[in-house]
Amino acid sequence: MGDGERYSFSLTTFSPSGKLAQIEYALAAVAAGAPTIGVRAADGVVLATEKKQKNQLFEEDTIVKVESVSKNIGMVYSGMGPDFRLLVKRARKIAQEYKMMYQENIPCIQLVQRVAAVMQEFTQSGGVRPFGVSLLIASWDNKRPYLFQVDPSGSYFAWKASAMGKNYVNAKTFLEKRFSDDMVIEDAVHTALLTLKESFDGQMNETNIEVGIATAKDGFRLLSLPELKDYLKSIT
Amino acid sequence: MGDFSPYDDNGGTVAAIAGQDYVLIACDSRLSTGSTILSRFTPKIYPLSKMTVFACSGFHADVLTLIKNLEVRMKLFIHEHGEEMSTKAVMALMLPTLYGRRFFPFYVRPIVAGLDRDGKGLVASYDPVGTPEFFDYVIQGSGENLVHPFLHNQIGAKRTLSDVPVQAPPGLTLDKAVKLLKDAFLAAAERDVYTGDTVTLVAMTAKGTETMEYQLRRD
Amino acid sequence: MNPFNYNGGVCVAMKGKNCVAIASDHRLGAGRLTVSTDFPKVFEMGPALFIGLPGLTTDSLTVVNKLKFRVNLYELRENRKIRPHTFKAMVESMLYERRFGPYYVASVIAGLDPETDEPFVTAMDVLGAGEVNEPFAVAGTAEESLLGLCEALWEPDLAPEDLFETLSQVILNAVDFDCLGGAGATIHVIEKDKVTTRTIKTRMD
Repeated sequence: MGDGERYSFSLTTFSPSGKLAQIEYALAAVAAGAPTIGVRAADGVVLATEKKQKNQLFEEDTIVKVESVSKNIGMVYSGMGPDFRLLVKRARKIAQEYKMMYQENIPCIQLVQRVAAVMQEFTQSGGVRPFGVSLLIASWDNKRPYLFQVDPSGSYFAWKASAMGKNYVNAKTFLEKRFSDDMVIEDAVHTALLTLKESFDGQMNETNIEVGIATAKDGFRLLSLPELKDYLKSIT
Repeated sequence: MGDFSPYDDNGGTVAAIAGQDYVLIACDSRLSTGSTILSRFTPKIYPLSKMTVFACSGFHADVLTLIKNLEVRMKLFIHEHGEEMSTKAVMALMLPTLYGRRFFPFYVRPIVAGLDRDGKGLVASYDPVGTPEFFDYVIQGSGENLVHPFLHNQIGAKRTLSDVPVQAPPGLTLDKAVKLLKDAFLAAAERDVYTGDTVTLVAMTAKGTETMEYQLRRD
Repeated sequence: MNPFNYNGGVCVAMKGKNCVAIASDHRLGAGRLTVSTDFPKVFEMGPALFIGLPGLTTDSLTVVNKLKFRVNLYELRENRKIRPHTFKAMVESMLYERRFGPYYVASVIAGLDPETDEPFVTAMDVLGAGEVNEPFAVAGTAEESLLGLCEALWEPDLAPEDLFETLSQVILNAVDFDCLGGAGATIHVIEKDKVTTRTIKTRMD
């Protein structure tokens, strides 16, 4: 037995108590990440995240955290940026492969299942570590809005509203109080921004947050700087 | 000159129905070579005499030459016999005219149609070397495969389960025959690229000859 | 020998008003020898979805098994019935996978959309190239006859019974001129919540 083989078993090995330490650590990486909010409204979904620059010398408009996957699906993360970019690449490929196979857009649930399967694989394979991100995936398809959260373990849930990253427990409590089923997308953006503001350190402006929405009309798209500015005016 | 061929196929469809007191001949007017349309209005029906018409698809130069030969022979007949050839005689004349070119045949699929001396419709079709066949109805040319079963069904009453009397030529009126051939050509033009532009229908009765024209697809 | 003419057979499908119909003949041959006169070439893919696969029979059977496999997996994975449009895309991509060693089958698909009940028919060649905006679809050894008859006999908004009669006349008269097809025919008329399957007689020569 060669050395390579001897050490090629999975890093995620059960502890005697039945826990997978690597997944716990991955969740810790997520909990330390930037706050991210997702809110589902009656006519769309909003994804919002904090994009605070670590250094004022960064070219801030080159940093993008909310990404679109297909015409009607977008995603955002809390945790490690490079890990997220790999998942975005995989998600986009999954979406295109589906379209090539069936000549229709991938339903959100299908994309979530397949991305979650990728994340699960990294909790059981040899020579790899789990992803240090949780994802929020938003879409408008099948004539309704969808909001999913996918965790490093590969588990996923559909949410009415969710929060991840730093201070997520308080953010979720805040959302529980604020959420109502008949919100429209404008209310949802407003709510998401208010939630972000709760834990925001310093002044929130259109350059240090990022917001994407999924609606029937436009599919998934990022809000422009002027749009963001307008929304921010209403919460100060 | 290495790839010269003395033959071409200029496409097109011709059809005819022999009724009790009429004969109906139809053709499209497209002339093509490969995927090029040479003419949108060159009907493939040619009158030979008062009682007889000739319709032909295949290689257009051969069609024209064949008609010339026929006209010469028919004129000689008039000089010798002092009267026009009967339709039956023209039908008989086709065999020696075509078979004379047994080893360099005209590339043609001719139909001869007309009325006999009693005004009854007659239709004959030939292969390129003159083998005659006599029909109540016939279709030849590029749209043949598409429309042949339709004519068998509608005129030959093949596979008709209804108790309507068989619509074979004895019961087939001229009006109905015109409608059928018009429909047949519309169908052929829909799917056969070598058939199109216009359909010409020539109806011949003891009273005289009537020519009708309808638009077909031009693409 | 041309693999399309070895076993012989035809399929044809037509749209009606809120219904579709699909038919095939019954002949199975080995060249000029007739091996069976009880071999329809239309296969059920769902409650309101059928595919006809005339061509080389061994390939037809392989393709139908592979398609059923894919449809079953799709329906479990997506937890819904496959739509005819999606099924067509599936057949297309499966056939095109064999771009340089194709299955020798043409395909005719007929079905109703499980959500909208919209009628759907299409036909495609060995590599999966097809056309969806036609009211009828034909394939097999009497392709041209079928096409001409459809063009002449089909009319819009046929009711189920009229659609059956029209499609019967089409397949009957087409296989009369096809030595490699015939020996009876099966016709499925697909309506919302109902499929009527009938067998008709044809010439046996």
